Amino acid sequence: MKKGIVTLLVLVLSLSLCITAIAQESTEPINLTVAWWGSQTRADVTQAALKLYASENENVVFDGQFFAFADYWNKLATAAAGHTMPDVIQMDYKYLSQYVSNGLLADLTPYIEDGTLDVSGVDQSVLDSGKVGDGLYALCIGINAPSLIYNKTLLDANGIAIKDNMSMEEFVALCREVYEKTGYKTNICYNNGTTWAEFQMRAKGIVLFQEDKLGGTQEDLEEIFSIYEQGIKEGWHVEPSVFAEVSIGQPEQEPLVYGSTPASMSWCAFYYSNNMTALQNAAPEGVELGITTWPSDEPQKANFLKPAMFFAVTVDSKAPEAAAKFLNYWTNSVECNKTLVGERGVPVSAAVAAEIKDSMSAVNQTVVNYINNVVTPNCSVINPPVPSAASEVYQLIYQLQEKVCYGAITAQEAAAELFEQGNAIMAGK
Amino acid sequence: MSKESTAGVIFSLPFIIGLIAFILVPMGMSLYYSFCDYNIISEPVFVGLDNYKKLFTGDEIFLTSLGITFRFALISVPLRLFFALAVAMILLKKTRMTGFYRATYYLPSIIGGSVAVSILWKRLFASDGVLNLLISGLGEPFTYSWLGNTSTAIWVLIILSVWQFGSSMLIFLASLKQIPTSLYEAAKVDGASRASQFCKITFPLLTPTLFFNLVMQTINGFLAFTQCYIITQGKPMNSTLFYTVYMYQQSFEYYHTGYGAAMAWVMLALIAMITWLLFGTKKFWVYDGGL
Repeated sequence: MKKGIVTLLVLVLSLSLCITAIAQESTEPINLTVAWWGSQTRADVTQAALKLYASENENVVFDGQFFAFADYWNKLATAAAGHTMPDVIQMDYKYLSQYVSNGLLADLTPYIEDGTLDVSGVDQSVLDSGKVGDGLYALCIGINAPSLIYNKTLLDANGIAIKDNMSMEEFVALCREVYEKTGYKTNICYNNGTTWAEFQMRAKGIVLFQEDKLGGTQEDLEEIFSIYEQGIKEGWHVEPSVFAEVSIGQPEQEPLVYGSTPASMSWCAFYYSNNMTALQNAAPEGVELGITTWPSDEPQKANFLKPAMFFAVTVDSKAPEAAAKFLNYWTNSVECNKTLVGERGVPVSAAVAAEIKDSMSAVNQTVVNYINNVVTPNCSVINPPVPSAASEVYQLIYQLQEKVCYGAITAQEAAAELFEQGNAIMAGK
Repeated sequence: MSKESTAGVIFSLPFIIGLIAFILVPMGMSLYYSFCDYNIISEPVFVGLDNYKKLFTGDEIFLTSLGITFRFALISVPLRLFFALAVAMILLKKTRMTGFYRATYYLPSIIGGSVAVSILWKRLFASDGVLNLLISGLGEPFTYSWLGNTSTAIWVLIILSVWQFGSSMLIFLASLKQIPTSLYEAAKVDGASRASQFCKITFPLLTPTLFFNLVMQTINGFLAFTQCYIITQGKPMNSTLFYTVYMYQQSFEYYHTGYGAAMAWVMLALIAMITWLLFGTKKFWVYDGGL
């Protein structure tokens, strides 16, 4: 009896091995791991697009991995050290030069030359944003711009009008008005990226992160903090303690859409335009969001178009050609971009962008309209990619913002500290 | 090699390989990196003692985080041991539900270090969380921000840590059961009160267990990471920045991985020193069974 069972087991095992072997021989699946950061909305549309591609290319098997922004870069750095990076990674403008200089990304030029990757529909300046030296290491997959996303329903109900290209003074007056009329406060991207600081400096014609120092004088830098000091003092900025309870940077937990009382919520959010979909999805039922420019006294100097993000093929990929083919699909397939609904920004291929415009959701049409008609005619060239020391300066700015908002130091002291320590960090000390 | 020792080697091989691959080699690498300028994605560059020098001379946050970690350990460890002992004493009594209670009280120490519980804790102490709702129930609406305030945020972490007293409790329970009942009977005959029974019999006989728990929990206290990383991230204004979280920030957020490695070795040295000090006090208060 026992012998019979053993024989049976051996038979079953060898049979299943045979089947696996046959199965492998006939299709030879290509495994592609694709990694990105972002919201739940992005995860959903990206997974759907991967599924679509896999259904058209049956030998491709995807493993889609997504993380929050901060976790993503930790994960990627560790994977880079172990040479186990995913095949295709979402890349940010900020990290591009660092990854290329360490030889972690594959040059896409050969795939363009042999026709695997067709970029004929992409504007040259957009394509060039993924270039480092002579090589094209990252392919831009969407365009966006800084945008003030606001609770239109709330403002309309209270008869508060908003216009594009507000000046700082008009913006502050608006914050006060909203606070007085509705109790809703304002969040000026507290501890969430330093684009706002860079944006403010751009208005003065200053590039904040330079090769080995910070641009501007201590007086210039003070502006970065004085708006928080004023907002907290006058009561219209969201209290810093509110942010202790949420994950900053996740659109779903942004005070614009998340919070239990007006005092812990904001009427607006400083974001990039492509986050509007995620914010709208996270907004309470019946709340319609609007989009306008960040406030500035010099809108043309301050505003810019940004390659929203890139896809890059890593040197660890075992199937770089299949990865390039996938990027081609991502760039040129109308079907694929219909699935992606412009969540990562306006598609880079002009033909695709025109083709999918009508099938886009109302929100994304608003975003495309904003990019094309509000920002494009009134902006200047984006700052060069920041050096790697900048990420430590970001943390310093966050901590100083926090101290200013808790009233531990004044804006002037914060500026002094940023000027001194920030310059030391940039100089590599 | 005899047949028997071959078998022995084969059976212990998984452990030996694990020890070498996952502990010894990484530790060696970490020690090497602590003398390097290393940012994970580029090759390490040897810089000698620079990282250690910077730690002790040019880094205020290092000292802040060290202070916070000491404070956390000094408060949470005694509290945790106190609760562990108190609950163990109560659960010593045999009733029908004892088994259930023991399991229930042990549960937090299995799940307490998990991410899920940390997130739950964060919600519990949110300004619109359960705790504030309960307080609001007493009268005025209460929206105090426990996590947003520099003086209370650390206590949220301490309470979470104290709540996980289960494993110490089980160890106390096991050794409480081993105290011979004849000692208590004799004491009762002599008319000793419950308090003096505890002071003269229970506590002295428990000191070896207490010592063990103290050492283990102190080490755990210094290495606490998840709660802080998930709940506060060191906020507000670095008032809850645990040493381990700062080390993580340096290593994986600022990409000063060499510096982070140096911090890890300083921590190792500190814990070794504290443990050695604790062992030094042993002869003054731990009952060694008269041996």
